[in-house]
Amino acid sequence: MFDLLLHKGIKNFIGVPDSTMKHFISQGLKKKKILVATREDEAIGIAVGMSLSKQNSLVFMQNAGFANSISTITSLVQLYEVPIIFLIGWRGYLKNDAPEHSKIGKIQPKLLKAVGMDSKTVTESNWKQCCKWAINKVNHSTPCALIIKREFYD
Amino acid sequence: MIRKDAIKIASDMIDDSPIISANGYISRDLFEANDKDTNFYMIGSMGLSSSIGLGVALKNPRKRVYVFDGDGNILMNLGSLTTIGKLKPKNLIHLVFDNQSHESTGGQPSNTRNIDLYKIAKSSNYKAFKTNSKTGLEKILRKIKNIDGPIMILIKITKGGKPSKRIIHSPVTIKKRFSRNL
Repeated sequence: MFDLLLHKGIKNFIGVPDSTMKHFISQGLKKKKILVATREDEAIGIAVGMSLSKQNSLVFMQNAGFANSISTITSLVQLYEVPIIFLIGWRGYLKNDAPEHSKIGKIQPKLLKAVGMDSKTVTESNWKQCCKWAINKVNHSTPCALIIKREFYD
Repeated sequence: MIRKDAIKIASDMIDDSPIISANGYISRDLFEANDKDTNFYMIGSMGLSSSIGLGVALKNPRKRVYVFDGDGNILMNLGSLTTIGKLKPKNLIHLVFDNQSHESTGGQPSNTRNIDLYKIAKSSNYKAFKTNSKTGLEKILRKIKNIDGPIMILIKITKGGKPSKRIIHSPVTIKKRFSRNL
């Protein structure tokens, strides 16, 4: 998935690590294309600066970080219409995930809808279409989100 | 020196380099003093001007990129100093207009009354300067033209002055003209 997005013209990958997408991040680190920020809103700020420089950018985070970022999304990304792909790990998707994830995991789809962010949930079979859909969105100046369900425990 | 005077001095000396200005009175002062296509007025997203500036600086290494920040703003995103300090962009100049308060929201006190941002910047790999006078600010701005960043200029200002007018451009217009001029 990382290689496809890179190949399709996403130049910058900025975010806060999430175990749900650790393989994605490892691949990016191997290719020296990942910038790790201290907070999700900081990552979005950096990505906006890069997008203003005409380079498509992706911001990765856990859904807890998405909740942290809502004001930045509404008052920066959406207000200025900056096309960014959000890659969001969905903790709390499984009912018996760690307790801190249960509430946010439950409201995650409603939250995206309330924010007005178009999104697709990535699966084993549709990930290529999802990536192409997201690239098409940012090429038409619209931010969007790809959601990765957390379907394992560690 | 009040913020408006400091912003006028700094923006007059910066020419056509990109400036990313923090939300609140800082962006309004910059708009009133020197409205230019190369200004990115951040309206919402408090705290993030240094992060947006970092993104612009990394992708435009041939330009000197200026951030006009406030004490309240940078205190909300201190982590940004560590990211900047780790990446050490040579072309990033970070001005912090420090009135030790949240003046845009009614003058409530901020933590820079008790905590020294200059020291935090130094330990985050910045080359740091500080001043509380107009001549001091002019001198530093001339001096840093030949110095590699990241640079922080901590400008101690006093509260006061009439609020500047609101920015008349729409956010999308601000984005488009800034982006076109990079």
